[in-house]
Amino acid sequence: MSPDERDRRAATGTPSSVHLDGITKRFPGVIANDDVDLEVERGTIHALIGENGAGKTTLMNVLYGLYEPTAGTVRIDGEPQTFEDPGDAMDVGIGMIHQHFMLVDTMTVAENVVLGNEPTKWGGIVTDRARANRETQALADRYGLEVEPTELIEEISVGEQQRVEILKTLYRGADILILDEPTAVLTPQEVESLFDILRELIAEGKTIIFITHKLGEALEVADEISVLRTGELVGTVDAETATREELARMMVGRDVLLEVDKPAASRGDLVLDVEDATVEDDRGVVAADSVSLGVHEGEVVGIAGVDGNGQSELIEAITGLRKLTSGTITFDGRDITTDSRRSRVSAGMAYVAEDRQKRSLVMEYELRRNGLLGRQHLRPFSDGRLIDWGATADYVDDVIEAYDVRPTDPSAKAHSLSGGNQQKFIVGREFERDPSLVIASQPTRGVDIGSIEFIHNRLLELRADGKAVLVVSSKLDEVTQLSDRLAVMYDGDLIAVVDPETVTENELGLLMAGERPEDLDLDGARIRGTPA
Amino acid sequence: MNAPSLTRRQGLVIGVILFGLLTLGLIIDGGRQLISDVTGVLSVSYLTSAIRLTVPIAFAAMGGIFAEKTGVINIGLEGLLIIGAFGAVASLYALSATPIGANIWLAFVLAILASTFVALLFAIVCIEFKADQIIAGLAVWLIALGFAPFASIIIWSRTSSPSVGTFSTVSIPGLAALPSIGPLFEATPPVFLLALAVPFSWYLLNRTTFGMWIEASGEDPKSLDTAGVDVRKVRYAGVLLSGVYCGIGGAGLALNTGQFVGSGDTMIDGRGWIGLTAYLIGNYNPVGAFLASFLFAGLDALQLQLQQIAGYDVSSTLVEIIPYVAVLVVLTFVGRTRMPSAAGEHYESDE
Amino acid sequence: MTDDSGSIRERGSAALDRLVDATAAERITISLASLVFAIIVGAVLVFVSGFVADCADPFIYLPGLGYGCYNPLEVYWTMLTGSFGSMTVIGQTLLQTTLLLFTGLSVAVAFRAGLFNIGTQGQMVLGALATALVVLELAAYVPDNAIGMVIVLSTGVIVGAIVGGFWGMIPGLMKAYANAHEVITTIMLNFVAIGIAFWLVQVHVGDLTTDSVQTETVPAVARFPATISGSRFSVIALIGALLVAAGIYLLYTRTVIGYDLRTSGIQETAAEYGGVNAKRNIVTSMTLSGVLGGIAGAIYVMMVQYRWQAGIPPLGFDGIAVSILAGNNPVGVIPAALLFGSLKTGSVAVDLSLGVPGELVEVLRGLIILFIAMPEFFRMIGKRFGYGNGSVATDGGEAQ
Repeated sequence: MSPDERDRRAATGTPSSVHLDGITKRFPGVIANDDVDLEVERGTIHALIGENGAGKTTLMNVLYGLYEPTAGTVRIDGEPQTFEDPGDAMDVGIGMIHQHFMLVDTMTVAENVVLGNEPTKWGGIVTDRARANRETQALADRYGLEVEPTELIEEISVGEQQRVEILKTLYRGADILILDEPTAVLTPQEVESLFDILRELIAEGKTIIFITHKLGEALEVADEISVLRTGELVGTVDAETATREELARMMVGRDVLLEVDKPAASRGDLVLDVEDATVEDDRGVVAADSVSLGVHEGEVVGIAGVDGNGQSELIEAITGLRKLTSGTITFDGRDITTDSRRSRVSAGMAYVAEDRQKRSLVMEYELRRNGLLGRQHLRPFSDGRLIDWGATADYVDDVIEAYDVRPTDPSAKAHSLSGGNQQKFIVGREFERDPSLVIASQPTRGVDIGSIEFIHNRLLELRADGKAVLVVSSKLDEVTQLSDRLAVMYDGDLIAVVDPETVTENELGLLMAGERPEDLDLDGARIRGTPA
Repeated sequence: MNAPSLTRRQGLVIGVILFGLLTLGLIIDGGRQLISDVTGVLSVSYLTSAIRLTVPIAFAAMGGIFAEKTGVINIGLEGLLIIGAFGAVASLYALSATPIGANIWLAFVLAILASTFVALLFAIVCIEFKADQIIAGLAVWLIALGFAPFASIIIWSRTSSPSVGTFSTVSIPGLAALPSIGPLFEATPPVFLLALAVPFSWYLLNRTTFGMWIEASGEDPKSLDTAGVDVRKVRYAGVLLSGVYCGIGGAGLALNTGQFVGSGDTMIDGRGWIGLTAYLIGNYNPVGAFLASFLFAGLDALQLQLQQIAGYDVSSTLVEIIPYVAVLVVLTFVGRTRMPSAAGEHYESDE
Repeated sequence: MTDDSGSIRERGSAALDRLVDATAAERITISLASLVFAIIVGAVLVFVSGFVADCADPFIYLPGLGYGCYNPLEVYWTMLTGSFGSMTVIGQTLLQTTLLLFTGLSVAVAFRAGLFNIGTQGQMVLGALATALVVLELAAYVPDNAIGMVIVLSTGVIVGAIVGGFWGMIPGLMKAYANAHEVITTIMLNFVAIGIAFWLVQVHVGDLTTDSVQTETVPAVARFPATISGSRFSVIALIGALLVAAGIYLLYTRTVIGYDLRTSGIQETAAEYGGVNAKRNIVTSMTLSGVLGGIAGAIYVMMVQYRWQAGIPPLGFDGIAVSILAGNNPVGVIPAALLFGSLKTGSVAVDLSLGVPGELVEVLRGLIILFIAMPEFFRMIGKRFGYGNGSVATDGGEAQ
C-alpha cells in the first residue's frame, strides 16, 4: 500500500484486517521472527515471500495461534488478540490452508469440510450427513469452488483437494485465509484456477495471505508483497511496481542471477540413446509410449511436462529402476536395455531422483552411510566385499564441504537435514563420481533459491566438462534456462522438441496441456541424434 | 464409511476353510466318513456352541478395530483377554470370601475394569511415552502371559483356579420357545452382549461423529487436530474401548467355564491372536470381524463336536491352525487389508 | 577438493566419534535403566504377592495387611546365587545363555535389517523337530565315536538351520512380494509351526509308546559333550554362538552384503536406487534370521532336551527381549543373553527354595521389553534431572 493510502486510512480510522505489530518469536537458540510489522488490508491478497527458513511459516503460525509470540501483538480489525491455540484464531475468523493438505483420504469431501464442527442429529451424537453435503454444496456454489460433496478425497485431484481445504476454512467462518505454498503441488492450469478462486474470495471481502517463494506468482496474484529474510521483514512493496530482480535481491540479500548465464554448447558424441522405449507404470498401464531420445556429450536435454505424464517412468526405465516393455537403451555405445541398475551405475550413470526421501537417501542413515549408496560395491568405497569406511568418510567430507551441506556433520541422520541440504548432498554425491551421464529429475524441487542457483550452476559446469545431462522438471523456467534442447512430454508421448531460446512460456504451457500451437515450429519427436 | 463390503475377502476365507476341511478329509483315514459326520453334527446345538466360542474372539477383534482405527495398533489383545479371564475368576473367588458374596456380575465388571486398566497403561505408554506400539503390545501380552499363572500360583498354589461359578443361561421370553431355533435364544449374558455389541460397534464407527473422529485420528491425525479435536483423547478412547471389549471377551470366556486355566498359553490359548486375524480378514469392519470370528469359532466347535459325537481324535491341532493359515493366505494372495494410514505412528501436536 | 579439507575431516570424524559414543552410551543407559525399573516393579510385585500367598514363616508383618511371605531382596539374591553360586548352576546359566544367544541373534539380525521377526519361536520349534528326526535316523549309520559325533552334531545343526531358514523365508517372501507385514505373518506362522510339529509328532513321527507328545531320545553320539558335570552345557555350542555374534557384527559393520541387507530392510526404494535387489535381500534377512532360530532348536535338542518334546520353552520370545535389551547390537546380545540366562536359571532356585513362582521371570521379561519400548519415559526423567535431550530410535536402531 502506498504511503498516501496509509495516511488516508489512518485519517479515516479504518483498521487493517490483519496487523502484526512488532512480532518476535524466539525458539531456544534461534530467533525465527525479529520484530516483524505487517499490515494487510481487507479485500486484498498479500504475498509473503522469503527463502526456506526465512521465518514465513513461523510468522503465520503466530498469526493463526499455533505459536505464542515472544513479543508483539496480533491485531485483527484493530483489536489486539491473544490466541491460546488455533481454535481461538479460528474464532476471530483466521483460517490456514497448509502446504500438506490436512484431509482424511478415506472420508468424503463433505465429511472433511465439517470435521470438528459436524452438524448432528439425534441429540448430537450422530452426524447429519445430508446436511453436511447440503451445506458444503451451498458454500462451494457461493465461492465458485467446484467440488462434489460425496466423493472420497482419495479419488479427487490435488487441485480439488485444495478447494476442499479452502472450503474447510470457509465453513468455519474464516474471513482471513492464509495459504502456505499453495501452488507447489498444482499444474499450471490448476494454479490459474486457484488464482481465479482467490480473486473471487477477495471480491467477497475476504483477506488473503499467500506464502510462496515463487516470485512470478506473487507478482501475478498479490496486491502487496512482503519479503522476509532471516526472520526480519525486509520490506513491503506494491505488486504493481515491483520487479522480479528487486524481489530476489530482497529475499537473498544480494544480486541473484535469475537468468542462467550459459555459454554455447559444444556437442560431442551421443552418450544416451533411447529408442522407441515403452514403459508401464505400477498398475501396468502404458506410461511412456514409444519414446525416443538422445543426449550428447556437452549438452543439456530438458524434459518438460506436468507431473504424471510419463516422465518419471521413462527416467526410471533409463536408470534401471523399471523394466522396459519394448525398445532399447544404448549408453556410451553399449546396449544396456537389460542391464541391472548396479551395472548402469558402474558404467558412469549418475541419477538425482525425483523423490529424494524415497529413493536417493536412506533417511535413517547418517550422511556417511548415505555417501556410498549406489556405489557401495565400487572402489574406493569397497573392494566389492568389505567396505572401506575411511575412504567413504573422506568422500563424504569432501562432498559436504564442496556442496556446502549443513550441518557439516557426516554423522547427522539424513532426515535431520532440510530439503535443500539433502538435495545438495545428493547432487554432490552423484556429481563427484565423474559420471559420463547425469540424470536429474526435479533437481530443485523444494529447494531454496540460493541452493537452486548453486545446483543449476553445477549442472552447467558438468555440461562444460563435456558430460551429457538430462534434466526433467515441471518448472518451466528451470528447463528453459538450462536446456539446449527441450522436449515436452504429454500423456506418455514426447509431443514436441523445441528450442528453449525461442519458445514462449505460453507455447510451452499449451504443449504441456497437450495442445500444439499452430504457429510453433516443431521439430517433431526427432530429438534423437539430430544435429542442432 | 462403507456398509459391510466383504464379498471377495469373505469369499476367499470361506474357500480357504473349505479347502482346509477337504485336506483334513484327505489326510485322515476315512475322509468321506468324516464329511458325512460333519454334516451330521451341524445343528442348532452346534450353532449355539459356536456362538459361545465366538464371544472372546469377536470381542477381541472389535476391540482391536477400535484401537487401530484411532491409530494405535494394539497387538496386546491376547494379553488383555488373559487379564479379563483371570480378573473375572480371581474377583469372583475373592468376592466369595467377602460379605458381598460371589456376585458374578460384580466379578464381570471388575474383570472389565482390570482389562481396561491395563489398556490404559498401554495407552499411556504409547501416547505419552511414545513407545513403539508393536513392542509395547508384545510386552502387554508377555506380561499378562507371565502374570496370570504367577498370580494363580500365589492365590491357588497352582496355575489353574478351582471352579468358582458360571453365568447362568438367560432365555429371551417368547423367542426361546420357538420350535427348532428356540435354543439360539437361550444363552449366557456375554452371548447377548455380543449380539448387541456388533451392530453397536458398526454404528458407532460408521454413523456417529465420534466414529468420524476415530477414522480421522487413524488416517490423518493432523487434520483432526487442526479441526480442533484432541487426537490424544480420541486415541485414549480407542485403546480404552479395546480394553473394555477384551475384558468382556476374556471374562465371558472364563465365567462360561467357571475356572481360570493358566498353564501353557493359558485358557485364552491364542484367541486374541485369532481376533487379530479376524479383524484383518474383516477389513476393520466390526461385522466382517464378527463373521470371521464366527467362522473360526465354528471350526473349533466342529472339531469339538466331531470328537465328542463321532469319536474323531486326531487333528484338533490342525483345525486350530486354520485361522492362522487363512489370514496368511488373505494377507499374501488377496492383497493387503487397508490399514489406517497413521496406525503405529506416534502423533505429536505442534502445540 | 581443497587441500585443507584434511583438518575439517579430522574435526568431522572427531565429532562423529563423539556422537556415535553419545548415542551408544544413551542406548546403554536406557537398557540399564529399563532393567533397573523392571527389577523394581518386579520387587514390588513379589512383595505384594507375599501378602496374598500362604507360607510357614513370613518375613514381615504389616499391621492391617497381614503377613508378607516374600522378601524381594532375598528373591533377587537367591536368583543371583541360583545362577552363579556353583559350577552346576553356572553350567545351567551358560546353557540358557547359549540358546538365548542364538534366538537373540536371530531377532537382532532381522531387526538390524529393519525387520521385526517375532517368528523365531516357530523357526526354532520346527528346526528342533527336523534335527531330532534326522539325528535319530543318522545315528544308526555312524560309528559311536568322536568322528561319528562330529558328523551327527554338524548334520543336526545344518538340518535345523535349513528348516528354520525355510520357515523364516516364508514371511520374508510374503513381505517382499506381497507386502504382508512381517509382525503379523511371523506371529501367525509361530502358531502354524507349533501346530504342525505337534501334529506330526503326535500322529506320525513321535514316540508312540508314551502318552506324552515327544520323539524318541537321541543317542549319545547326537549329544553335545557336557563341559561341566551336573549340567548338559557344552562349551562348544557357546563358542559357536559367540563366533556367530562376532560374524554378524562384522557382517553389518564391515561388509557390502550387510550394507545391502540393511538398506533393503530399512528403505526398500532407496536400496533399489542403490542397485540392490531389495526384495531378494529382505527374503535373505528373514531367512538368515530363521537359520539362527533353527540352529537354536538344533542346539536345544542336542544339548538340552535330547529329544523333541511338546511345550518347548519360549526361547524365541526371550530372544526378542534379549535383542531389544541389546539395542539389536550383535555384540550387545552377548551380555543380554547372559543376563536372561541367569534370570531363567535363577528363577528355578527362587521357585524351589522360596516358593516364588518361576513365572516371575516371564513378567520381568515383559517389563524389560515394555520399558525399553519407551525411551521417552527415561528421557523425561533425564530432563527432569537436567540431562541432555538427544533422540534415540526405539527399535531397528543401531549402536556400534
